[in-house]
Amino acid sequence: MKIAISADSSNLGAKVAHRFGASEYLLIIDVDSGYFEAVPNPANIRQHGAGVQAIVLAVGKGAKAVLTGYCNPAIANQLGANGIEVLTGITGTARDAVEQYKEGRLERLSSRQAQLRSATAIGDKAVLIHAVRSAARQFVTLLPVLIGVVLLIGLFDMFVSEEMLTSIFSGNVALDTLWGACFGSIFAGNPINSYVIGGELLKYGVSLFAVTAFIVTWVTVGLVQMPAEIAAFGKRFALLRNGLSFALAIPVTILTVVILSLVERWIS
Amino acid sequence: MSNSSRQRSITRRIFRGMALFPVITLAVYGIIAVIMPDKALLAIKSSVNIFFNMLIPLSMIFVLMLLINLFVKPARVAKFLGKGSGIKGIALSAAAGIISTGPIYAWYPLLKDLREKGAGDSSIAIFLYNRAVKPFLLPVMVAYFGWLYVVILTILTVLASVAIGYSVGIFMKAEQA
Repeated sequence: MKIAISADSSNLGAKVAHRFGASEYLLIIDVDSGYFEAVPNPANIRQHGAGVQAIVLAVGKGAKAVLTGYCNPAIANQLGANGIEVLTGITGTARDAVEQYKEGRLERLSSRQAQLRSATAIGDKAVLIHAVRSAARQFVTLLPVLIGVVLLIGLFDMFVSEEMLTSIFSGNVALDTLWGACFGSIFAGNPINSYVIGGELLKYGVSLFAVTAFIVTWVTVGLVQMPAEIAAFGKRFALLRNGLSFALAIPVTILTVVILSLVERWIS
Repeated sequence: MSNSSRQRSITRRIFRGMALFPVITLAVYGIIAVIMPDKALLAIKSSVNIFFNMLIPLSMIFVLMLLINLFVKPARVAKFLGKGSGIKGIALSAAAGIISTGPIYAWYPLLKDLREKGAGDSSIAIFLYNRAVKPFLLPVMVAYFGWLYVVILTILTVLASVAIGYSVGIFMKAEQA
């Protein structure tokens, strides 16, 4: 069975390094045969992602346990997920650590286990805080345009009459779909805005064909975003993708509405 | 600059750009309020009304975003893109598009990078199309259109994305040949 020890030099007399992932060497030791291998840390120790490379190394070499001074909770979780036991709080030389491990003394040290457990608990809490923060950020970036859209709909309610809308959306399936797709193609925005605009248009008696085409093209086709898309992927890709998406929006819309009405009829 | 801080500065810039829109709309309100105050008041009332109707779906969106962040790590979805081949490759690109969050502008640089590293045109096209499917926005979509509509449109959107990816791939290859 193999174990990995973070160490400051390449022999068994090396001191166990304090941080897993940021040590000069990783000693891979076969505790049964005593055979060992010193692998220099592939990453510059100050480099971002050094921890990940150390994980890959430990997993790749078939280590079943990692002995180190300290291991950050995210890395400990990753190692745990790969079936590697993490023992922290280890000091002294690598040779002593191997002996203690063989005698099972490391596991018996309850304080170490407690430390390990608390590290995992801190990890979970950190993950939760991180998730709340990103959710808050995503939610907040959603708001400005959404508020703008809702404010515009208020104006729309006041100044646009049903007659004005029916002069554009006449109820003709083909034309309604086409017009809806055209309006939706101007921007490539967050889908939530298309739901709100589409939902309000429905209340005005605009057909579901027009609204669906609008929703479908809102995300998938974007004239305003075209320059950025061309810059990223080239003219041909951008034109092709937007053109094909626009063309496909028509059958997708018609199929959606037809299937919906068939299923609704079948249910009732 | 590290990746995450670059991502944050992009997000901040986009946010500022987006904030212009409600500000301009409010300015329009200001002008209308001067010319015809009664109409501006009615307009703002109906806006507030719409917003109140959305409060429950919006809070559900926040909860869903939180759950998705906890369990799927959207920031890492890019890893899926362009990996695997055949049906698995398609499914992974579609899944990446579905879980991805944030405005499209934030994704272009990363996607460009992935494409240069070998992610196919089909994968990119499938990813972009599937951004239309957003599980955490479902509460609002269902509130407006009902479950049945949402299910049908979602399935058709995912199928359409595959068709788009396939055709974009073929046409792009045809040009290179």
